[in-house]
Amino acid sequence: MRLFRQFILRHLLNERLRSAATILGIALGIAVVIAIQLTNSSSVRGFEAAVETISGKTSLELTGVGLGLDELKLRDLGWLREYGFVSPIIEGDAQARLAENKSESLRILGVDILRDRSIRDYKLQSEAQKELTPTDFLTLLIDPHSIVLTEKFANKYNLQVNSQVTMIFGDKTETFTVRGLLRNEGAARALDGNFALMDIAAAQWAFNRLGRIDRVDIRLRDGVSIDEAETAIKQKLPTGLNVQRPARRGRHVEKMLEAFHFNLTALSYIALIVGLFLIYNTVSISVITRREEIGTLRALGVTRKNVLALFLAEAAALAVIGCAIGLALGRLLSFGAVKLTATTVNSLYIAVAAEPPTLSLKHFLIAFGIGLPLSLLAAALPALEASRVAPTAAMRGNDRLESRFRLRKLYLIAPLLLLTAAWVFGQQNAVRGLPLFGYGAAVAIVAGAAFLVPAVLFAITHIGKRFLARLFKIEGQLANSNLAGAIPRISISVAALAISLSMMVAIAVMIGSFRETVNYWIGQTLQADLYLRPATRSNVTVDAPVSPEVEKLIVQHPAVAAIDRFRNFDLPYEDALITLGSGDFNVILEHGNLQFKEPRNQTEAKAAMRTAIGATAVVVSESFAIKRSKRLGDEIKLNTPNGEAAFRIVGIYYDYSSDRGIVVMDRGTFAKYWGEQLPTSLTIYLRDGVNHEQTRDEILAALGDKYRVLIYTNAAIRKEVLRIFDSTFAITYALEVIAIFVAILGVASTLLTLILERRKEIAMLRLIGADKKQIRKMVVIEAALMGGVSQSIGIVVGLLLSLVLIYVINVQSFGWTIQFHLPVLFLVQSSILILLATALSGIYPAARAARLHATEQVAEE
Amino acid sequence: MRSQKSEVGSRKLRWLIIVSALVCLLSLVFAQTEWKQALSGYQFDFSRDHASHPEYKIEWWYYTGNLATADGHRFGYQLTFFRVGVDQQPVNPSRWAVRDLYMAHLAVTDIDGKKFKYAEKLNRAGVGWAGAETDRYRVWNEDWQAQQNEARQTLLKATDEGISIELELEPGKAPVIHGQNGVSQKGSQVGNASHYYSQTRMPTRGTIVMDGQRFEVTGASWMDHEFGTSFLEKEQKGWDWLAIQLEDGTDVMLYQFRRNDGALDLHTSGTIIDANGKATAISAADFTLEPIQKWRSPQTGAEYPTKWIVKIPARNLEFEVRATIENQELITNGSTGVSYWEGAIWVEGKSSGRLVKGRGYLEMTGYAGAAMGTVFD
Repeated sequence: MRLFRQFILRHLLNERLRSAATILGIALGIAVVIAIQLTNSSSVRGFEAAVETISGKTSLELTGVGLGLDELKLRDLGWLREYGFVSPIIEGDAQARLAENKSESLRILGVDILRDRSIRDYKLQSEAQKELTPTDFLTLLIDPHSIVLTEKFANKYNLQVNSQVTMIFGDKTETFTVRGLLRNEGAARALDGNFALMDIAAAQWAFNRLGRIDRVDIRLRDGVSIDEAETAIKQKLPTGLNVQRPARRGRHVEKMLEAFHFNLTALSYIALIVGLFLIYNTVSISVITRREEIGTLRALGVTRKNVLALFLAEAAALAVIGCAIGLALGRLLSFGAVKLTATTVNSLYIAVAAEPPTLSLKHFLIAFGIGLPLSLLAAALPALEASRVAPTAAMRGNDRLESRFRLRKLYLIAPLLLLTAAWVFGQQNAVRGLPLFGYGAAVAIVAGAAFLVPAVLFAITHIGKRFLARLFKIEGQLANSNLAGAIPRISISVAALAISLSMMVAIAVMIGSFRETVNYWIGQTLQADLYLRPATRSNVTVDAPVSPEVEKLIVQHPAVAAIDRFRNFDLPYEDALITLGSGDFNVILEHGNLQFKEPRNQTEAKAAMRTAIGATAVVVSESFAIKRSKRLGDEIKLNTPNGEAAFRIVGIYYDYSSDRGIVVMDRGTFAKYWGEQLPTSLTIYLRDGVNHEQTRDEILAALGDKYRVLIYTNAAIRKEVLRIFDSTFAITYALEVIAIFVAILGVASTLLTLILERRKEIAMLRLIGADKKQIRKMVVIEAALMGGVSQSIGIVVGLLLSLVLIYVINVQSFGWTIQFHLPVLFLVQSSILILLATALSGIYPAARAARLHATEQVAEE
Repeated sequence: MRSQKSEVGSRKLRWLIIVSALVCLLSLVFAQTEWKQALSGYQFDFSRDHASHPEYKIEWWYYTGNLATADGHRFGYQLTFFRVGVDQQPVNPSRWAVRDLYMAHLAVTDIDGKKFKYAEKLNRAGVGWAGAETDRYRVWNEDWQAQQNEARQTLLKATDEGISIELELEPGKAPVIHGQNGVSQKGSQVGNASHYYSQTRMPTRGTIVMDGQRFEVTGASWMDHEFGTSFLEKEQKGWDWLAIQLEDGTDVMLYQFRRNDGALDLHTSGTIIDANGKATAISAADFTLEPIQKWRSPQTGAEYPTKWIVKIPARNLEFEVRATIENQELITNGSTGVSYWEGAIWVEGKSSGRLVKGRGYLEMTGYAGAAMGTVFD
């Protein structure tokens, strides 16, 4: 232990900067992993926590098949009382408009306030500690514009009982009166106080859900087993109704976000892997700079094992500090990451008030359980090398690491084998909906590339000799031969940088291709002149409907030629939720322009879609077809309120709006199963020659303050789609930037190693007349050279990886066809940036090299 | 059938007061269509008047009875359905919009087993979870219901955890209409009144379940049905009410108000129905009620007189009333929010010098402190 303190700790302290760089590298790697873990769990956990808090003592819940259930079905469910207490529920989100143009989303729970208290705990009060009077209670019951807020929320916005609050439910703006406050307990604690209670009648009206309820909460009698009750109730329930535990809703959401989360997690590990190269580097440096000391130690009787342990302990010390900082940093980063992903999660999946959860034991286990062993593994190679130091030779300084590179067959065979493996993996199917083999292929490509790096360096330094000499004179030539002489040493750093760059290239190519594809798709598909939807989304499972008044006003507008009333909602399908949509096929066929993947011939496809009108037939999105392995002509079985029904697939169309899978049927067919429903969005086609923006403004003016809708012109919706698209990938870029930063740290520390290793050579150069400037220039060129080589490898490997991403991983996780597109400009820009950044990273080692005292070094000889 | 004048006549004034208080407060908040007032000249028609009268604000059907098994195991029961109109034409088109509130109380006293259990319900009509039909007699609250069948029998059915009743009631004596000209006046203003009748002795048989054990029982029940719109008295602190069925065929209803100032309330009164169904009203001056023993509720701390001496000199009647078991208190926070004592009683005394025994029900309100007060606040 004393040895450790003197030999390792003192050294680490002396080399503060390098230790700090290593710790930072590890910390960043761990931080990214933890941040993504926290972020991923925040969306699901946020949802689950809200479900859990709001469900109170509910042990089971009764649900319909999409769209809640027809409330009249409750009449035949009197037998449920045998099992316990039942409470019908309307649940959704609404927006409260508050002072200073602020608005906040509130989760509204509509319950029968006469009955519900035996299911949920809430303390209704008029002010602190004062119970609601019977008058207050009855007013709350009768006035349909009554709302009960949580004390926390009311305090935040200085609201009291009898205050007026403007609320937006879907597209309706209405003024509500606060009739009571909920003390901060039970359900009122959900969503950090952004929770409100209404009577079921008021909520049903406000949400435009007359005649339907979202679910029925059941509190079982004491002593009734949940399992037995669930089974028994399931058997007795009529078609179209299901019984489940409330937590089940969380599982659906988890499943829905699984692919998105999985891909983020995979990305986050890149930063960690790059960070591990830093550990390798640092321990290598320690070993190199202290060969003589090691020799002395060995001569003094310290065993090989002890030396190994010493260096592993050094790695462990760095890793432990790095992991600890990484945990804290991860928590900080997660706030940013949640913001970056929230838009995606909200706009594409579910609306949740996401806040990163606090660190739990699990995260400590991830940080130390992954960070520490991997760090030790990374340090094992140089540590083993240290333990093999022969005492006498090292003391004399004769013993050097092998610095000459010999091109062995292994360096060519291993990459070949790995790339073959990648090719084979690329042909495999998804495992339980996750592209495990796809990632296997990516890992194989990366590993293959890493093995190839020494050979590439060898080739490049061979070819580059003349070229560099001509370009940078003697310094260039020296730099080149320095690198050529240190191939085993620099390979790891170059590989690390090349890998993270290749990831960046791959992701850039994938996103660029994806964006081009989406852009083309919206150009083709989005043909309508105006798109309208309610200003607020209102539920996790049910989108807010467009009020009949709004629709009427639009139909009557003279500029409007046709509208398509689109209704969509989530439907459980197999183990996950899909989107079921219904539109007016006649209008779509006449005015719209869906792009069909199958039948390939668009005229044929339209004819097929026409046959679906009034028939038990549907068109499905590509991602539905791919993820569910369905083909044209296949039948799919959907749960409907009338029981399970089979629908034939007559068309598969391209869609990039959601990876959930969309099944669309004609309105007529839909109504047979779900009845007439209000639309959730309107697609509006205007007469020729009408000014679109003017018409939009006219409609908005006519709707006045009472209704809040979003109307996009065609140009605006295209922009909006791309905006959502870009925000989806913001997190990806953020993760990449961190990985590259860590990799560049690696380049800097490698250069430092090289310089320390070659201090005698450098001293010699100084002695024979090289000035400080020349030394600096040489080192910077070395750095840039490493960057250049890394970037070249990165581009080639990145393009390979992008193929895996586009054709394997993307298809398997999201089910989208993406047309390959090369973002040339991005590649050129990033290459220049990388050259600059690596050259910059050489400045410190260069300065360090220039400072070496020539005489001191040579005097040793 | 004879109708009989009765100053107050309402055995359940308590409900009138609670409900009227709410209704008055409500009408301050919401301007709404007028509810029909109980006015003089109402003609009862018992082919439909058992059914609901939704044009009036307040209505209830009240059953109590003393029953026993063939081997003499004695029970008492109470089953009450209330309807309180709150908003005749709700603006909200939702089915859940509240036009009426429906409350119900069920209590079973196992006299020989010395057990008392009760339950309550509070619902809106919604999708039909509670209601009262207007064209035939059927009133229900979830799975509790009172219904008249084609044979003019009334069927009562109510179940809760551990207790249950399923009873068949014959009409027995003809209905007794209280008040004058079809109206029972409650206050000095016109319309401060109700339409009110009772069926005082309905032969009953059926089953009672207590703690999961079934009993086949027979006996007699007492039924009240009353509907009206407004009657509010502020000064009453509480009241004591008695319904007695004597073995000689006479039925007695007595009612006394306790005022805040301790003075005797003028509305204190009663009705005596002889074996043939002839009803005679008696006024406050005609009888005395003297509490002689009290029971303290462990839950509310209220002290309820559970033994009384009743004297009606004009009819030469004098008897002692005794609670069959002491704890028959209902704490109904889930529906009306009021605690009261309502339970089966034993009656023993003299009628014109002859020994007479009887059964009945006693109701006492206003003993459990704040409950009434909050309503008036």
